[in-house]
Amino acid sequence: MSDLHEHEHDMLRRASLDHCVKCTICETQCPVAAVTPLFSGPKYVGPQAERFRNGESVDHSLDYCSSCGICTLVCPQGVKIAELNSAARAVMKADHMPLRDQLISRTTLMGKAMTPVAPIANAVLGLKPARWAIEKVIGIHRDAAMPTAHTQTLVGWLRGRTKPTGPFPRGPIVYFHGCAATYFEVQTGIQTIEVLEHLGYEVIVPKQGCCGLPLQSNGIFDTARTWVRTLVDDLRKAPRDLIIVSSSTSCSGMLKHEAKEILGVDDDSLAEVGTRTRDICELLLDLHDAGSLPLDFDPIEITVPYHAPCQLRGHGIGTPAVSLMQLIPGVTVVESGVNCCGIAGTYGLKKEKYDIAMAVGKPLFDMVKNTTDSLAVCDSETCRWQIEHATGVPTVHPIALLHRAYGLTKLPSVVS
Amino acid sequence: MDVVVIGAGLSGLVAAIRLARVGKSVTLLTKGIGGLQLSQGTIDVLGYSPDLVTRPFEALPRHGKPGHPYRVIGGAAVRSGVDYVAELCGPDLLTGHADDNFLLPTAVGAVRPTCLAQPSMAAGQITAGTSYAIVGFRQNKDFYAALCAGNLARSANVTARAITLDLPARPNDVDSSALAYARAFDDPSYRQRFATLLKPKLEAGEVVGVPAVLGIKVLDAWRDVSERLGHEVFEIPTPPPGVPGMRLNERLTQLAKAAGVRIALGSRVVGARTSGRRVESVTFAAAGRNRDYAAASFVHAPGGFESGALTMNSYGSISEGVFNLPLAGVRDDLVTGDYWSDQALFEVGVAVDDDMRPLDAAGRVVYSNLHCAGGILAGATRWSEKSGEGIALGSAVRAADTIRRA
Repeated sequence: MSDLHEHEHDMLRRASLDHCVKCTICETQCPVAAVTPLFSGPKYVGPQAERFRNGESVDHSLDYCSSCGICTLVCPQGVKIAELNSAARAVMKADHMPLRDQLISRTTLMGKAMTPVAPIANAVLGLKPARWAIEKVIGIHRDAAMPTAHTQTLVGWLRGRTKPTGPFPRGPIVYFHGCAATYFEVQTGIQTIEVLEHLGYEVIVPKQGCCGLPLQSNGIFDTARTWVRTLVDDLRKAPRDLIIVSSSTSCSGMLKHEAKEILGVDDDSLAEVGTRTRDICELLLDLHDAGSLPLDFDPIEITVPYHAPCQLRGHGIGTPAVSLMQLIPGVTVVESGVNCCGIAGTYGLKKEKYDIAMAVGKPLFDMVKNTTDSLAVCDSETCRWQIEHATGVPTVHPIALLHRAYGLTKLPSVVS
Repeated sequence: MDVVVIGAGLSGLVAAIRLARVGKSVTLLTKGIGGLQLSQGTIDVLGYSPDLVTRPFEALPRHGKPGHPYRVIGGAAVRSGVDYVAELCGPDLLTGHADDNFLLPTAVGAVRPTCLAQPSMAAGQITAGTSYAIVGFRQNKDFYAALCAGNLARSANVTARAITLDLPARPNDVDSSALAYARAFDDPSYRQRFATLLKPKLEAGEVVGVPAVLGIKVLDAWRDVSERLGHEVFEIPTPPPGVPGMRLNERLTQLAKAAGVRIALGSRVVGARTSGRRVESVTFAAAGRNRDYAAASFVHAPGGFESGALTMNSYGSISEGVFNLPLAGVRDDLVTGDYWSDQALFEVGVAVDDDMRPLDAAGRVVYSNLHCAGGILAGATRWSEKSGEGIALGSAVRAADTIRRA
């Protein structure tokens, strides 16, 4: 970021704090402040404390903000509360970034390391002594939900399959899978591609890396900026008039607004990519609203609890997954009505924050368990891991239901 | 889409629910959570005209100057809006007879008329000769029992004394918000701790007033507290975060979702596409790009100056930001130096016909499928006459019913 951009960025963000009328709506909605006195709340830590910051924040409760972004979302006045806090935390942690935060924020590194030895990696992460040692040495809580590695990546699957030859009446579309669909949520990636192809899209998957969001939420801004810029360049290698669709709602949120609003990456190529980026459910509901989504769904008799993750809500598109799933005959969607599952990316993995994250998510976990024991639905991968971990209820992306309803596959055991 | 509603305050939510329940497809767009949370959690219809009003619907037809929203909305629509919100919220959340105003104590010990209140507030109805014990918490800086009790004894023919408890909402809290207390009061064991601490300090027959913190999810927590104390108990609304307002907001938001309203939260509506006298779509500045929401009809319920729906620039020129609607009530002396006198600024807003369609200075409809409701309407000083919710509800019902008939 040039000095000029840095100036504009800081000025704009800091200027937003003058819009704060102290109505405290953010305080009432903050999921972290509701469960722990260690975080004094978004208004106090954000627009109020920011006035006194010059360099490093002296209020270390800032580190207990989970960056879920609910405060910014609910603010009626447009104050960039979460963004102020993320930036202040990056400054606070800059010269003593824990090794743990360096590691867990590099999803591609974890994926690359775990994939070749997936069964061993999964087995080790299932061992209590190993997890105890990891907690002691690195600081990842022994009980925290860890992703499951797979021997085959999404890229491997793409390489190994016979690509459909068309016709593709809807033309080409770019798929941005994110690291999670590459390494840990391969099934979601496959289902997204197959639904898009079923609808008549030719799916183009350019070689792509991480968006840098985990780095950003851990305050490692410089590397995050490099990574998101590289991703933007990767995605722009596909034809530049195409829609970019993603099943990873936090990563697409990074492209749409967070890289600009938090990292201050303010360039035309990012803006251009962000404008073309769609969440998969956003895209499909737009098709439906335009009357061009086929509704020849197989019925699925199921009642599913659905949780709209914070990062999806940050898109400002409402909850398209609810409207979409309700198009499937037999599906009853019960919305969680809860602000956050607690995990907030990597927040809930940390040993000092695990209990807070579980307390944040408790109303959601209770709601899921009271609704079903068979299947829950959520758009974001880390939230799905957290919900499964806390409830034992298998949790899938909404695309899994659509994939099933289009007769493309059967969901594993839970829906017959 | 049949209808797009802009704004998630009382009028936006109620209009959206009313339309969705008759089968209209409705999308509600809002920058943030609406103003209900900042309200007292009661339904004002008319409190001063200019003298204290005891029977709001009797006073309403004669109230205000020409151009006042009530002159256009009419008493019947206001009544139907008040009845509708009472029915939506149910008797566990709103109580009262619309014919008679309550007179309820405020946090500073003044007496406030309102039409419907929450059941937890009803025992506060000012009755001559009552003895009140006003209870505060040392850890809650938003409510001072001594201030409330002292003023209450001076403003009404009652006696009142203050009791301050040393009871934080969470262990070791130095400063507990009203919401932190409300969450604590959801728990029966906390209610028992409160009752155990307070009961020995009460005298026979005293009516107990507490800040409005008696539960956020458990709506009958106040009744349980009353039984544990063996005294009548009532809640007094506090400054934001206002727990009673949160209860209303939560209930109406859930009802809107249950009725099938699509709610998109978090961005501003920044403009509109129009053709002739029709609005085609509005532009929502979602993350990454502007999204157009097209609809057959639009309800514009974004609030007034407080929410930024009306703004005044440094030259003193006032504008409405989405449709650039003509504004009524604009004149040179909008603000006077006397803080307590009527400020004409508050009356600036959109003038409408009886279908709530915006009018220009010549009285012509600006857009035939656009209906305005709530705080954006011109002609009322809501805070001093206590008419905010009545205007919001009456205009929401008018707007919704016009769209329903179309």
